[in-house]
Amino acid sequence: MKKVANYLWVEKNGGEYTLIMTPELQDDIGTVGFVEFTKEKEVEKNDSLLELEASKTVLDLASPLAGKIVAVNDKATDEPTLLNSAKAEESWVVKLTDVDEAEFNALADA
Amino acid sequence: MQQYVPKSFEDRFEMYRGLANERPAVKAGREFLDVQDAFLSEYNSKEITDFENIKDKENQIYIWQGDITTLKIEAVVNAANAEMLGCFIPNHNCIDNIIHTKAGLQLRLACATLMKKQGRKEAVGRAKITAAYNLPADYVIHTVGPIVQNNKVSSMKRDLLAKCYTSCLKTADDHNIKSIAFCSISTGVFGYPKEDAAETAVSAVKTYLAENESSIDVVFNVFDEENRKIYENILTEERS
Repeated sequence: MKKVANYLWVEKNGGEYTLIMTPELQDDIGTVGFVEFTKEKEVEKNDSLLELEASKTVLDLASPLAGKIVAVNDKATDEPTLLNSAKAEESWVVKLTDVDEAEFNALADA
Repeated sequence: MQQYVPKSFEDRFEMYRGLANERPAVKAGREFLDVQDAFLSEYNSKEITDFENIKDKENQIYIWQGDITTLKIEAVVNAANAEMLGCFIPNHNCIDNIIHTKAGLQLRLACATLMKKQGRKEAVGRAKITAAYNLPADYVIHTVGPIVQNNKVSSMKRDLLAKCYTSCLKTADDHNIKSIAFCSISTGVFGYPKEDAAETAVSAVKTYLAENESSIDVVFNVFDEENRKIYENILTEERS
């Protein structure tokens, strides 16, 4: 199941929620040149997931859901333009677990 | 090297402003600062508007037309850029430029300290607070608005502009500031359509005040007649 919030897709696979850059977000920010992921292991809703510097803006990307961060797209730290990719396996941001399912269900459908 | 110094005060001020704008964020000697502060405090003391004289009991939201650097209020909001060091373009006609010019070089140094600590550029929609140095205000709250090209305001940019207002208000409340004046963030060189921006500004401020039961007084500072009318229309429409 796939939802959209804070200009990110939220893809649910079992108990794991993957946040992925949407084309709309990619269009708005331009080519990504620098990313720094949060060092937090847990985030509240609207906490920063990563800061990125792109050709059109500097953005603090906020989490649409509270949860535990179980993985971050480390490859994007070395190769920031991965976040401009149309492929979800390249432009994903973080994976969350321990997400309140009701909160997820309340997000808009993608 | 002999530098040509113009004759009239206005020309001399423009020369001084241009040099101050270009000056990097490096410390200055006490002697220079004393002269600068003496000059700016006298220069800035002319035509000050005291917010206490505009304030009334009925309203929490105000429109005020004028130069934000002449407003005596607790906090003024500066529309900064991602470097957040003030405008470096000599004599550039933007609010970041005039705020830094009239505050004095200490403002750039204060921003440089914050930015060094942060270690990277400032993201859109956040707020940072510094003293206001030689301005009549006590604090400057710096925020970076979204840049809009070809009048295309995406919903993300609208959200980010609203976030600028919310972040500034939150920062002000966190510092127990009771009055704040906003410039029209993003509507200058950042190209955000003025009317659209004003609607987002008003709605973000009202939502924040209601949700947080904040008692802070908010001034929408407008520079020209056109922007004043835009804000007046929005605020009267909402009242009726």
